[in-house]
Amino acid sequence: MSWAQAILLARGLSRGWGGICGVAVTGAPFSQVPLQAPRGLHCSAAAHNSDSWLVLPRPEPRKGPTKALTLHEELFQQTPEGARDKANFVRAVQNFGQHNVHKRGHVDFIYLALRKMREYGVERDLAVYNLLLDIFPKEVFRPRSIFQSMFIHYPRQQECGIAVLEQMESHGVMPNKETEFLLIQIFGRKSYPMLKYVRMKLWFSRFKNINPFPVPRDLPQDPVDLAKLGLRHMEPNLSATVTIYQMPSSKDSTGTADPTEPHIVGIQTPDQQAALAHHNPARPIFVEGPFSLWLRDKCVYYHILRADLLPPEEREVEEIPEEWNLHYPMQLDLDYGRSSWDDYEFDIHKVEEGPVFAICMAGAHDQATLAKWIQGLQETNPALAQIPVVFRLAGSTGELLASSSGLEEPPPPEGQEEEDSQQRQQQGQS
Amino acid sequence: MALVHRFLNGAYIFRHCPKPNASCPFLGTRFADYCSSSLQKPVAAPGKTSSQRNSEGDLQGHHQREVALDITSPEEKPEVSFDKAIKDEIKDHFRRLKDDLVNHWIGPEGRPLHEVLLEQAKVVWQFRGKEDLDKWIVTSDKTIGGRSEVFLKMGKNNQSALLYGTLSSEAPKDGESGRSGYCAMVARSPRGPFERKRAYDWSQFNTLYLRVRGDGRPWMVNIREDTDIIQRKNQMYSYFMFTRGGPYWQEVKIPFSKFFFSNQGRIRDAQYQLLLDKISSIGFTLADKVDGPFFLEIDFIGVFTDPAHTEEFAYENSPELNPRLFK
Repeated sequence: MSWAQAILLARGLSRGWGGICGVAVTGAPFSQVPLQAPRGLHCSAAAHNSDSWLVLPRPEPRKGPTKALTLHEELFQQTPEGARDKANFVRAVQNFGQHNVHKRGHVDFIYLALRKMREYGVERDLAVYNLLLDIFPKEVFRPRSIFQSMFIHYPRQQECGIAVLEQMESHGVMPNKETEFLLIQIFGRKSYPMLKYVRMKLWFSRFKNINPFPVPRDLPQDPVDLAKLGLRHMEPNLSATVTIYQMPSSKDSTGTADPTEPHIVGIQTPDQQAALAHHNPARPIFVEGPFSLWLRDKCVYYHILRADLLPPEEREVEEIPEEWNLHYPMQLDLDYGRSSWDDYEFDIHKVEEGPVFAICMAGAHDQATLAKWIQGLQETNPALAQIPVVFRLAGSTGELLASSSGLEEPPPPEGQEEEDSQQRQQQGQS
Repeated sequence: MALVHRFLNGAYIFRHCPKPNASCPFLGTRFADYCSSSLQKPVAAPGKTSSQRNSEGDLQGHHQREVALDITSPEEKPEVSFDKAIKDEIKDHFRRLKDDLVNHWIGPEGRPLHEVLLEQAKVVWQFRGKEDLDKWIVTSDKTIGGRSEVFLKMGKNNQSALLYGTLSSEAPKDGESGRSGYCAMVARSPRGPFERKRAYDWSQFNTLYLRVRGDGRPWMVNIREDTDIIQRKNQMYSYFMFTRGGPYWQEVKIPFSKFFFSNQGRIRDAQYQLLLDKISSIGFTLADKVDGPFFLEIDFIGVFTDPAHTEEFAYENSPELNPRLFK
């Protein structure tokens, strides 16, 4: 029978079957087309145009986001009032398998789930990745003959598997034995996802501990703890003491720090204390900042207290008297006439800068807060009372966090005038 | 550079056209490498000096990613007078040729042989003046349409170089890039008289030494070898440099045995040690997927021999990934 007759027959049947077959004939996907009874053969002639049976039923416009939703995205929108957390994500993934047993469109669903992971906060959870890999049907994509393994068997699925592993790699998640077993079950041992898994195991274990200054992955949320971690991270001397000069006060019990009383945490080593005690009160010392420090993905700002370098004529070399240590000499002036094969020094004057006396991290970057820090420092360094302190703070307001790179110029210029001109220069460049 | 620029007055076409121009027959096959990469998209606002340097970069056969984006300060306006520049350059090249011939009698690179043989520490790049900054090219993912910015300028007191900018990992909307966000600073390859390619020979040293001051971000150090083989132009040896952050200068010592091999930006299964006799350039890359401003202050870069370091190569090949190596 001809095509037109088939359509009419189908529509006649569909009137009785509630639109299911009509949908199947028109080919629209099941979940998206609402049940709309198509015009049947015996409708009234007034409503029946001559070519109305050629018009395919259109889905009614969706209320809500005007952006076109991808397939299966409604699985992730089932709980708008619920929190976006792991349980909801797992439930959405499991719901996918319930509606169609044959898991049609699993590749697209896995790509969608990979995109949604960041919203739900599970991008570093290995169990969730294993769950995503579990969506693949097992044993179907394994090559069975040498010809199948020569060509990339089921290339889209292998690409999807590689995409899952690549997202794991970019977030630094190490796959485990369960992942290996799943990959072997799904793709076989000689497939590209399995190859990528072997490479991940190899290179991740090689580069796991190469950071000489490791920062914990779960950074503390409390700003005071974060400041203490940051200060300890910067100061190589382990005998330094961290002092909290001011805790953030939350009188309103809102939980956020009151802007008039931000936290001030400082660090100072005993060597720096001694150097500050010996500092000549005629020379000023400077409070410079704020400089940025990145801990994983959080940026904190610190200020330093430093003095300018003494000109060479004023530098005094400290002589240790011979009676200081009678067991062995503290200074040896032996000249063995070593040739250049023993000379490991670089033939360059290293950059010398003035001594740093203390570092601090504060909630606000204005002069009032830093003045409180100096007052706190005076308790342990009484010599600080006589020394003039100059504040060289880049930027007039304290908050530089979201501004352009021109304002966040870290190395401090020499003088106040140079600072302004350099700032103007940098703003012109950025 | 004005000399070569004048000869090839269609220089701007080089950036976009994929085949060597007929007007440069004497450059030959050496510059075929810039045709192969398809990553070069037109930069939005290149600026005069950057485009000039970019065309020179292409003429010298650099990899196409090396687009100079450093912007000189607004006070300096480069004075372009071709005739004078050509004369100066011809004189400069002949002087370098004369120095080269004379130095050959004194010793390698003009230093007496015993000094070179006994040397244990050598400063390769230092940053004490503006001319030292010219030896470096600064790139970011703006070349593929991203949003990161990076600038290079002298630090305070003209005693160090400051590389700063903003990293943005927003992927460019060109339909093919999934990820983005990198900034890089690469050294230019050393050149002899008449722009002949030279290479560094570091075979008697075994460690790279950097005196830097960073902000806590992890950087990657890449070393490229000097080669004429086209397939090798995208190969490099890399390792990570972790900065501590803070106001103190940090000394980073990376032995050359730790550098792993990568081709076209991906770590390869077959690893071999970095051979130090023909090194062309070094580079620093930042691509740690964290958006925000960054800075790196570099004092100098040197190489030295660490007598305590006896390792030849840190990575062994595995029979799973490379069965052919283990037959």
